Amino acid sequence: MLLMSRLLCNDGRYKFGTMCLCDFSLQNISGSGKDKNSGRSTLVKQRPAVFPDLDNDTPRNMLKRIIQTQPQVSPLALRISKHEETEGPVWELPAKRISNMGEMQLPDLVPEDASIATFRMTKKRRKISVSEFERAADERLPQNQARSTLDSSTALARSFSMSLGTVIPPDTVEKRGLLRRPKNRRAIDIEAFEGGVEQNMLKRKAQKYLVDSQTASEIQTTVLTSDVEIMLSNTELFVQPQFDDQSQNKLSVLEPQLLNSKTSAQRSKISDAAQEEARLVGTDTRRTPRNSENLILDHEHAGRMTPLSPGTPANQQEDKHSHSQQSNPMKQLSVSEEVAVGTAEHRANAGYSEDLEKTLREKGESQITAAQDARAEPEEGGIAEGSVEHPGSPKAEHEITRSVGGGSLDRHSHTSSSEKSGMKLLKEAVEQADELEDQAIKIELDGTEEGPTEDEAEDPESEGDSIKTPTFVRAVAYKPLLSTPHPAKPAAPKLSTPRPAKPAAARSPQQPLQANRVPKGSGVSRRKTSEPEIASSLIKKIFSHYVKMPVARDAFKIVQKCSEKYFMQLSNDLEAYIHHAGRKTVEMEDLEVLMRRQGLVTDKMPLHVLIERYFPLEYRKLLIPVAASGNSVIPSK
Amino acid sequence: MEATEEERLLLTQRLKAAVHYTVGCLCQDVAEDKDVQFTKQTIAAISEITFRQCDNFAKDLEMFARHAKRSTVTTEDVKLLARRSNSLLKYITQKSEELASSNMEQKEKKKKKSSAAKGGKIPGEQEAAVNESEDSNMA
Repeated sequence: MLLMSRLLCNDGRYKFGTMCLCDFSLQNISGSGKDKNSGRSTLVKQRPAVFPDLDNDTPRNMLKRIIQTQPQVSPLALRISKHEETEGPVWELPAKRISNMGEMQLPDLVPEDASIATFRMTKKRRKISVSEFERAADERLPQNQARSTLDSSTALARSFSMSLGTVIPPDTVEKRGLLRRPKNRRAIDIEAFEGGVEQNMLKRKAQKYLVDSQTASEIQTTVLTSDVEIMLSNTELFVQPQFDDQSQNKLSVLEPQLLNSKTSAQRSKISDAAQEEARLVGTDTRRTPRNSENLILDHEHAGRMTPLSPGTPANQQEDKHSHSQQSNPMKQLSVSEEVAVGTAEHRANAGYSEDLEKTLREKGESQITAAQDARAEPEEGGIAEGSVEHPGSPKAEHEITRSVGGGSLDRHSHTSSSEKSGMKLLKEAVEQADELEDQAIKIELDGTEEGPTEDEAEDPESEGDSIKTPTFVRAVAYKPLLSTPHPAKPAAPKLSTPRPAKPAAARSPQQPLQANRVPKGSGVSRRKTSEPEIASSLIKKIFSHYVKMPVARDAFKIVQKCSEKYFMQLSNDLEAYIHHAGRKTVEMEDLEVLMRRQGLVTDKMPLHVLIERYFPLEYRKLLIPVAASGNSVIPSK
Repeated sequence: MEATEEERLLLTQRLKAAVHYTVGCLCQDVAEDKDVQFTKQTIAAISEITFRQCDNFAKDLEMFARHAKRSTVTTEDVKLLARRSNSLLKYITQKSEELASSNMEQKEKKKKKSSAAKGGKIPGEQEAAVNESEDSNMA
């Protein structure tokens, strides 16, 4: 019956309900079985050969014809046996199955038909000599070894077949009606699959950069190959510096550690990036050390990597060798850069480079946020937001985490400094790449990095810390910047335009910053020369929080300008007040004067009340002395 | 206490009236100048604003003086006050410079006179006193 229905479905000619046909088919099959087997009993009906008469033919006749002509599969027999079974037939069944497997091929339809047949059978309670039926059916059945496994659907039969070494689909149900189409399970090409996933992810990224990165990552989180899990099992927060001149093993070790460091930071993007990278391992056709390299960046190129694999492996190998002399972090960076570059070269597509940047930024950003978490900086939230907003910052963070992984543990002091070093690393990578495209891309990345670095350079701390960049990083970054970045600069603005999240106001200082930085290409951070800005992401965040409405990008620009002017005026006033008092340092009273001038502090509203009202406890403790037990005052005077 | 309050109120009203009158005069001049008319409510509003702003100025000046750890309000405080408006600041700076220069001149004259004719000290002193009083008023 199931067979009939199945055949019908396959043929597509008839759309009869399977159930109604069961009886017919069963009878027919049994009849046919009986015909061939002398030992057949019960329902026997010789079916006369009838020419197809489509108009007047009854469905029954048509089915008969089908049965006679089509490959005959009779799972019915098996099902019947199961339902009306005694142990004998059940035992017989698997044995028969096995024997038949060698002889005949059972069609895919067997299980479904059988299930339906079984269902039917249970209803009708047909009493048939099951074993005989089976035998007859099996003899007639076309040989399909793959399908034979699906025949045994009852638990018992299943257990037998399992014990006997046959593969039974785990989702076989007692009621064959619910059984799905037997699946042709071929070994999935992991690389192809992951490549497809990467492509998918890339497409998604290309569409929506910021928001969907998280969603994509969520989707990607589910895709975890065993290698990924293995690699992510190491939960080291920071990768210990390994200064050996490279071995690919080191690379591979560092990469997973980098990934681990990422995952250890509790950022979804980090985990996503890590997973993406981990997935890249599978996608990479090259060996695992390669994969480790590709892990960093390849997830972006996953889609492109597979087609470019013949080209890129050579490229990456070259890159690898070229970097062999460098320190590991630099190597990683440069390798990743090279990889990115290589793919970018091949593609020569701005869109892909964008994706690369985005992914890099994401990673970098996630890494930076991880680093920030490690340092528990107060500006974390703002910076994290900034990193979200700024595509460049993730790249910087990316670089920074690399350097961190490379072993500059000292550099966890400050995000800005790390960004700076990251940027330096990036610049170095840029130098190594000789392609204009690559440089353009990297300059772009530099620009984006600089943007966020500049944005987040508001603190005087950052400036101070930037000087503390570890010497080795500085030494590495000391490689003279190629003159090529200059010609690439004009390309940078064009390339940077596609980046949606970059506010124009924040972008404009980047290029002059680039101009400032390039000639001064020493490793010493030149943050002070460039004009520091408040992170536009911070402004956006605060503004949108208070306005409780979606805000247009142009509005954000204007808000940023206003806030800039406001803070300029504020600082000028403070300076005047300090000068008025004949001092050189800003004090509380200066700020109180300022607030009084602004009207925030009045005779009715003293400063302390404002502090109490608007500050969290930590800040309040700093400003207002608190008396504790034991005659101790916090903060101690 | 009530008397002082009433007195204060009376004084305030008188002061407000004086401000109102002055504002009215100024508005009249401006109206003639620009050929624009001012309603009475406008003049009243302007005078009220002026009065309150004067109150603010006074408080700020006192705050500035205290910030500089002084007990006297000086031109420096006034200049700090006027920073809000650039043009006003320039104007005030100019005026203060003029004043300072005139003060210097006065002092020089005074010295010359005192050194030249000690006999004419009394009229000189008187003159200087008058000058100084004028200066202090202007300052």
